[in-house]
Amino acid sequence: MAVQAQRQASAAPARPRPKRSREEEVLVWPDLVFVEFISAVLFTITFTILSVFINAPLLNRANLNVTPNPSKAPWYFGNLQELLLHMDKAWGGVLLPTIFLGFLAAIPFIDRSRHMQGVWFGTKYSARITIITVIYATVVIFGLVSFDAGEATGTERLTRWIPACAESAEDVSWPCLRDDVGAEHLGIVSTKDISKRLEFEVLGVKWPEDLDHIAWPFNDSIGDFDLGGIGLGSIHGWGGEHFNIPSIMAEQVIPLTLTIVVFPGLIIYTLFRIGWVRTRRDVLIVMFTGAVMAFVTLTLVAAFFRGQGQDLIWPWKIKVDEG
Amino acid sequence: MSVTEEPGKPRNLRERLNVLQDRIYDRLFHNYVWQSIFRSGYPNTPRNQMLVVATNVFLHLHPTRIHRTHVKITHTYCLGGLTFFMFLVLTITGVLLMFYYVPSVDRAYQDIAALETNVKFGLLMRNLHRWTAHAMVILVFLHMMRVFYTGAYKPPREFNWVVGVVLLVLTLVLSFTGYLLPWDQLALWAVTVGHGIGGSAPYLGDETQIVVFGGFEIGQPALIRFYTLHVIALPLLAAIMMAVHFWRIRRDGGMARPL
Ligand code: HEM
Repeated sequence: MAVQAQRQASAAPARPRPKRSREEEVLVWPDLVFVEFISAVLFTITFTILSVFINAPLLNRANLNVTPNPSKAPWYFGNLQELLLHMDKAWGGVLLPTIFLGFLAAIPFIDRSRHMQGVWFGTKYSARITIITVIYATVVIFGLVSFDAGEATGTERLTRWIPACAESAEDVSWPCLRDDVGAEHLGIVSTKDISKRLEFEVLGVKWPEDLDHIAWPFNDSIGDFDLGGIGLGSIHGWGGEHFNIPSIMAEQVIPLTLTIVVFPGLIIYTLFRIGWVRTRRDVLIVMFTGAVMAFVTLTLVAAFFRGQGQDLIWPWKIKVDEG
Repeated sequence: MSVTEEPGKPRNLRERLNVLQDRIYDRLFHNYVWQSIFRSGYPNTPRNQMLVVATNVFLHLHPTRIHRTHVKITHTYCLGGLTFFMFLVLTITGVLLMFYYVPSVDRAYQDIAALETNVKFGLLMRNLHRWTAHAMVILVFLHMMRVFYTGAYKPPREFNWVVGVVLLVLTLVLSFTGYLLPWDQLALWAVTVGHGIGGSAPYLGDETQIVVFGGFEIGQPALIRFYTLHVIALPLLAAIMMAVHFWRIRRDGGMARPL
C-alpha cells in the first residue's frame, strides 16, 4: 500500500483520456485499412515504374588510387560535408549534428503544454512564423555560404574597403588584409581570412602572429600534459598544448555564435517583439523550422552547388572528374 | 409459375450463372483449408470488423476504432505508415539482393554488375531497393515534420518522439551503410567522406575510424562491417524500435488530438 501510494505520488499526474462519442469514431476496418492498402498499392506501382525506367548508379569498381573530384557524401550527409567547409571539422562534422539531434530529442521536454496537440499549427500565429522562418533561414544560410566563397560570389567586395597591408609589415596597428604578393587586393574572402589575412595590433599585441601560439595555461601544473592525448589535438586550432586564438575565433567561435546564437536569436527576438512568438511552442517552432531549413539548404548546396575542389558554382557547371 | 415450385431450380441463364457463382464462391472460401486460415468470411458487420482487426496478427497493431480526424489523409499524409512500408519493401528486396551478393572486395562489384545483367529482375530489384531507400529517408523526415507541426510530441507522447529520433538516426545509418556495398567509385568515395567526418570526432576520432570503419582507409574491414550492420544489426534494431514506436502510439491513447 505504502509503495503504491508513493508511486502514485511520484508518477506523472494521471492523464484522463479524452472521452469521445461513438459518432466521432470510425472502424479501422474498413476505413483505415483501406487507406493504408491503397497508399501501399500506389507506392508500389510508382516505385516499380520508377525502377523500370531509372537505373541505380553503378560507376567503375572502387579504386583507392583514383579520387573523383568532387567526392561527395550521400546527399543526406551532404549537409555535414558542407558544414566542414565553413568551420572546425569536429564542430561541423560531429558536435553540431549531435547538438541538433539532442535538440530534437529535447523538444517535448521543453514544450510541455498539452495545449492544441494533434492539430496542424495549433497556436495563433504558428503558420505565419513558420513561413517567415523558412524564408529567413534559407536566405541566411545561402548568405553565409556565399560569404564564405567570397571570390566566387563577389561578396569579398563588401569588405574591400579594408586596406591592404603594406608589404613591409612594420606598422599594422590599423586593421588590414594581407594579399598574396603581387596579387590584386581582395576583401574578406572567407571567415578563415580572419585568422589568416587579417592583421592588426592592439596594445602592442599583434593579430594573428602574437596570439596563435598561446601556451595552455595549466601546462606547468600538470607537467607534460598533452592535449592531443585526450583528443582535443584533433580540434583544429588547438595545436598540441597551445591555443591558436585567431584560428579558434575564425573556425569555432565566429561560425558557432552566428549559427547557434546570433541568427536564431535575431529572428526569435524580432518575432517576439512583434508579438507573433508568444509561447514556448512558438519559440520551438522557430528553432525547429530554422534548424530543418538550415539542414535542407545545406543539403541542396552540397548536392547542387559544389563543383571540383568543393568550389561554389552553378549546378549546370558541375563537371565530375572521375580521377 | 406456381408458388409451390421447388426452390433452387434455375430457370434461365442468369439464374444458372448465379448458382455457378455461388458454387465457385463456396468452393473457394467455404472449404476446409481456407477456413483453417480465416475462420470467418468477409467481415461485413461492425462487430466482425472489429474482431478481424483485433485478432489478425498483422492488423492488431491498430486499435479497432479510431477517431474520425485521424483517417483524414491531410492529418498524417500516411507518412509514418509509408515509412514503415518502405522498410518492408526494403526488407523484401534486400533479402533478394543478398542471394547474389558476397561482401568481399574481390567479388562485391562483380556480383552487383552480374546481378544487373545476368539475373532475371535483378536490376529491377536493385533499383527498387535503391529508390525506396532514398524515399524512406525523405519520408521519415517529412513524418517528423508532420508530427512536429501537429504538436503530436506533447505529453503523453514525449517518449515516443524520442523513439522517433532514434529511428531517424537508424534510418540514416542504415542508408549510409548500404551505400558502400556496391563497391564502386561512388560508394567508396562517399564513404571516405563519412570516414573523414567520423575521424574528426573530438577525443574519439581514431577510435571511430577503427571501430566503425575498421581502419584508416576503406577496405575489406569496412565492407564487412558495413554489410553486417546493414543486413542484420541495424534492421533488427530498427524493427525493435518500430515495434516500441507502434506499441507506444496505442499506449499513449492513440494518436494525438486536442484535449
Ligand atoms: C523508421 C521511422 C519511423 C516509422 C516507421 C514511424 C512510424 C509511425 C507511424 C506508422 C505512426 C502513426 C501515425 C502516422 O502515420 O503518422 C507514427 C506516429 C508517430 N511518430 Fe513515427 N515513425 C518513424 C519515425 C519517427 C520520427 C523520426 C519521429 C520524431 C522525431 C516520430 C514520432 C512519432 C510520434 C510522436 C507519433 C505519434 C503521432 C500522433 O500521435 O499523432 N516517428 N510513427
